[in-house]
This record gives sequence, C-alpha cells and structure tokens, in this order.
Amino acid sequence: MDGVLHLASPYPPIQRNTPLPVEAACVSEQADDQTLLRVDSINKQYADQVVLANVAFDIQAGEIVGLIGPNGAGKTTVLEVLAGILPAETSDVHWLGRPLPPSRRREAMFYLPDGVRPYQDQPVTRVLSFFADVYRKSADEITNTIQAVGLTPVLHKRVHSLSKGYGRRLLLALGLLTPHPLLLMDEPFDGFDLRQTRDIVGVLRGEAAMGRTFVLAIHQLLDAERVCDRFILLADGRVRARRSFSVPAPRTGLTSGSLEDIFLALT
Amino acid sequence: MRSHETFRVQDAPLRPLLVKELWEILSGRALWTMLLLMCPLIGYSFFQAVSLYGEASAAGLQSPVLAASLSPLDGVLVPTLGASYVAVTLLFPFVAIRVLGQEKESGALRLLIQLPYRSSTLIAAKLAAVLAAWVLSSVPAFSALAIWRMLDGHLSAPETLNLLFGHLLYGLLVGAIALFAASVSESAATAAIVTLAFTIGSWVLDFTVAGHPGVLEWIARLSLTQVLRTFEQGLLSAGLVVGIGTAVCGFSALATVWMPPGVHVRTKLFRSLVCVLAAAVVLGLATQIRFSVDVTEDQRNSFPVADQRVLAKLAEPLVVTVHLAAEDPRYADLQRNVLAKLERVLPKLSIRLAGGRQNLVASAGEDRYGEIEYTYGGRSDISRSTSPREILPLLYGLAEVNAPAPAPGSDYPGYPLMAGGQLALLWFFCGLPLCIAIAWWRSRRLPANHNKLTKEA
Repeated sequence: MDGVLHLASPYPPIQRNTPLPVEAACVSEQADDQTLLRVDSINKQYADQVVLANVAFDIQAGEIVGLIGPNGAGKTTVLEVLAGILPAETSDVHWLGRPLPPSRRREAMFYLPDGVRPYQDQPVTRVLSFFADVYRKSADEITNTIQAVGLTPVLHKRVHSLSKGYGRRLLLALGLLTPHPLLLMDEPFDGFDLRQTRDIVGVLRGEAAMGRTFVLAIHQLLDAERVCDRFILLADGRVRARRSFSVPAPRTGLTSGSLEDIFLALT
Repeated sequence: MRSHETFRVQDAPLRPLLVKELWEILSGRALWTMLLLMCPLIGYSFFQAVSLYGEASAAGLQSPVLAASLSPLDGVLVPTLGASYVAVTLLFPFVAIRVLGQEKESGALRLLIQLPYRSSTLIAAKLAAVLAAWVLSSVPAFSALAIWRMLDGHLSAPETLNLLFGHLLYGLLVGAIALFAASVSESAATAAIVTLAFTIGSWVLDFTVAGHPGVLEWIARLSLTQVLRTFEQGLLSAGLVVGIGTAVCGFSALATVWMPPGVHVRTKLFRSLVCVLAAAVVLGLATQIRFSVDVTEDQRNSFPVADQRVLAKLAEPLVVTVHLAAEDPRYADLQRNVLAKLERVLPKLSIRLAGGRQNLVASAGEDRYGEIEYTYGGRSDISRSTSPREILPLLYGLAEVNAPAPAPGSDYPGYPLMAGGQLALLWFFCGLPLCIAIAWWRSRRLPANHNKLTKEA
C-alpha cells in the first residue's frame, strides 16, 4: 500500500476568492464524497537531500488520521507543506476534488506547530481573546473551548510561565477556536501525562464527532492507537503504509499485530 | 454537527489585529527602556538649548538687530528634537524589530500567517504599531515643547508641526527598514545589525562622502539624515515627502514579500525586484517635484515677498553657470542664499557647474573661477557675489523690470528669552521617568475581560 497515486482531477481549479465548497465536507455525506483532502504528490528536498518523495494519501471527512514514523521521517515537513507554510518542489493537493493551491490552504485547514509558545508576554486570556475576536467567536464558544481543554486555572498567567502541558492546551484551544474543517497538529500529546492525554483524546473525539477532521503527527505509537481512526506510516520521506486500525496490514506479513509490530516491520 | 464555514481573507476584522499589535509593542521591555533612556537624553539637550538660547538672548534683548537672529526653531526645537533623532536612529530599530522579530523567533508567525489576513494587512498593522511606538517615544520631546511654552517661549505652529512631521517620517522610515530587516533575518540580532547598517551607515556616508563631487555626492544623498535636514530648515518639500513615503512603502512592500515562509526564495526575489523597480521609478519622479512651502516665520528660505512676486512673473528661462567647485564653501553659500530660493520661485531655472564635477584643487587655478554667470532673455551678466542683495538687482536688470520697493513691517522680530531650565531637569530626570515606570507597570496588568472569562469558565 505504498504506491504513489497520481489522480487527474475532473474538476476545474478553484478561482481566487471563490468560497471553498466545505459544506459538502460533513461526515453525513455519501462515502464517495467523503474524501475531504487528497494529497496527490508532495516532493520536498533541501539541496541534494530528498526529504519527501511522492507522498500521497487521502483524508476522509470527520476522521482522525495519525501521521506516524520514526524521527526524521518527514512528518512535520508533510504538515508544513500541506499547510502551505513551507515551499515544496511539488505540492498537489485537492480539496473535495478541486485543486487547492498553497496560497489558499489556510482557508481550509489550520496547522498547529510543535513547540510554539505564541505571544509569551501576554496573559493566556488575551491570546485566546485575540483568536476569538479574529473569528468572531461568541463568549459561549470561548468558554466552552476553555473548559474543554482545561485552561481555566491558568487564564491569568502569562504564556511564558505556562508548563509544557498547559502550553500545549493553549495551542489546542487556539486551534479549536478556528472555524477550519481540518486541523493539522504536530505532536499534540507531547508534554501530557496519561490522564491529560485521555482528556484531550476525548476533546478531539468530540470535535471529530461534530464533523471536524484531524491529521496528527505523532511519534508515540500508543497515543496514536488511542486517538486515531487510521494511520499513515512515513519513513525516509516516503509513505510506507496507510491502514485503518481495524484492518490488519497484509504487506507486513502479519495477520494480526499491534501498530508497534507494523512500525517495526516497515521502518 | 458543527458548521464548516471557511474564513475568507476579506472577512476578518482589523480591530483585533491592531489591538494585538499594540499590546505586543506595549508588553515589550524595548519600548519602555527606550523611553526611560530618552528622558535624560532629551532633557539634557533641552536644558542645554534653553541655557544657550538664554545667553544669546541677553544681547538680543538690548538690540533689535541681534534679536532678529534669535529663532526658537534653530535655538531650541532643532537641538531638542536632535536628541530624539539620535535615539530613533540607535534605539528605535530594536523596538520596531520586536514587532515582527518576536513572533518570528517564538514561532507565533506561523500561526499569524494562517489567520485570514493578507500579508500586506499584517505588515500594515505592524507599521501602525511602529507609528504608535513612535508617538509614545516622542512623549519626552512633546513634554519639552510644553515646558518651553510654560517658560513663555515662542512656538510657531507651522514650524513646529513641520519639524515634528519630519521626525515622524524619519521614525516611520526607520521602522519600515526594521520591519524589512526582521522579515529577511532569522533572528532579531541579525535584524538589528541590518537596520543599524542603514541608520549608522547613513552617518558614515555623511562623514566620508558628503561634499565630494560626482558619484559620491549622489551616494551621499541616500543618507537617511538628509531626510530631516530640509524639515529642520523649515521647508515642507512635496518631493521629499513623496520620496520618504515611497521609501516607507517600498520597505514595507519588501517586508510583505519576505515575511510569508511558504514562498520560494526565487519568487520572493522576483517580487522584490518588482518592488524595487517600482519604488525607483516613483523616487525618480519625486525628484522632479519642486513644490515646497517655506513654513518658517522669518521666511528664511524665500526672498522678500515683493521680490518673490516679481521673480514669479519672469517667464523666460534663467540659466545660471557657476564657476565654482561643488565643495567650495562659496558654492554652499550661493546655494543656500540664492539658488535654493530661486529654484522655489522661478518657473524655469537651469543651474550648471561650469567645471563639471571637478574638485576644488583642479578648478581653483582657472581664471574664471569664482564667477557666476546669469543669462536671461539673451542677455547675460557676471557676479562673484553670493548675496541676494547684489544678485537680485542684477536679475532685475537682465529682465528689464523695476526692483520692487521693500514691503514695510515684514521684518522678523526674533524671540529672545532668558529662561532657566533647571526645573525641566527635575522633570526629565525624576518626574517623567516615574510616570513612564507607572505606565509600564499598568501596561503589565491583566486585560479587563480576564475576570469575565474566568467567571464564565
């Protein structure tokens, strides 16, 4: 299942400033219409070093997809190219069947990078208010988000004084305040203990049940198994496997086995 | 089921972005530190200026002729705001760089560029924050002007506003350069070096190549310090304002090009080239704009009103051939006393240096060296004077018009004032720093909606 797909789009390219047909992305649509995002080909290289080679995969609406792989596999690079904040040699992406150029990716998806502490001198509440005001969120929506990610105890603190876990929650809250149907998150559980991870898994599951789609770059396989519906295994900048957790991977020769077994067999 | 609306660029409100930029610049230590440093700097300059002005006024109070030479613009405003210029040159880049550099270093820029704003909108908001920072950093200078008024000093509104406008444009230019530097640099330290290369590099240009003929003279004109000189002389020049505005827009456009990380470098280089070419064309056109207003109360940049009226009616082209080297002090005198004023009033004036751009040593041995030849309507005359008292009658003779009678009551009286500035020192060394410290402390307080959010959560 590591072949590269090259699908010709039957749809015309999206014109600048035309709204993307995201309403059709709801999970209640028919199965054929559920391919929210189709990555035909991502190629990226730094000088002579190939970082990503013909990376291709599909994302269905409402699912949580784990992008897994060893360190240096290219998980973060895939997300950044996908989000349009890192230039690539090729980045052919289709949104609901229509080509989505990098300059318009931010209208459809929002990327939460790893290790970012935005606006460190500001109190948490001000950073949240900024994002909420940009997207015209109501007070109820802000309150719900704060409660969902458990930020209430640190609202008065400045961002630089937050622990790693709360910093991660703040970033998640900012992502949840955006209206984008697809959230790309890099190492979303880094810094969480088991209980916190389970809490956040619950939050993501709840959002997915309401139609939001997630692509998570995770290097902890246990976390990936807890939250993801499906995984895409990356190694050496190539897609090695794309499987649902409910289906065993025949190419590994394993009739059954954990994600760890598959990971070790393919990387 | 959640709504799946996307957020289009034109839908986003500007207010949260502007508020965020303002809070970001207020939260940084750079602005407040700069303000605290500016207090003694401007305070001492003001004290010195008032003291020297007072000493000169002692003689001026005895003699109306001496009093006429006492102008608060030269005596107090320019030296006081000169300290502000030093601070803006050396310290303001650090404040402006923070507006973008902080987000770049913390990674927040990667979130910001995904928000529904165009890159140009983001840079415009940051430039607005830089403007706000300049206004705040000018508080010590504003307070100096207020103290001067309280000491019963004279302030001419057009002169003062024109000078402040010049400093505002200079601050914006430094801010735009800083934003550009921050957009191309990976760290704030590198951005600071790039910006200081522009600002301190201008001083180097002034010291090394200014006054030299040829290409060096053209290079010297690129110095940022040239921006303020015209305003300090009391001139509001349309060409200069357009030129500075173009430079600010040009650097902002370059910052817009280089800020987004998701664009290939070759694309950025191409867009930068387009920006630079467009700015160069507009700058070239701006040099052709000769309109300027003399805002000084003593009209030092103009001939007397009666002469201005007569000269403005001269329809034929006047050709002035100067047999002086460009670095000769007499040429500087001629330029300031006569040629600059003629350029402002005569519709058709052509000035040329007879020896091309050759230097003083090479030209001084020529027989005609020092002569200035005026040609009007097929007639010509020669003078060696650099004073309008001799040259204006010569021009009237060439044009065959009568010299106008001087208008009565138009003499500048001068504003001598003997005042002590000791109390001002107390304000600048104690009172104002204390006020700034309190404002800094208040800016660190939590926002008003904090309690509301906590309560609801």
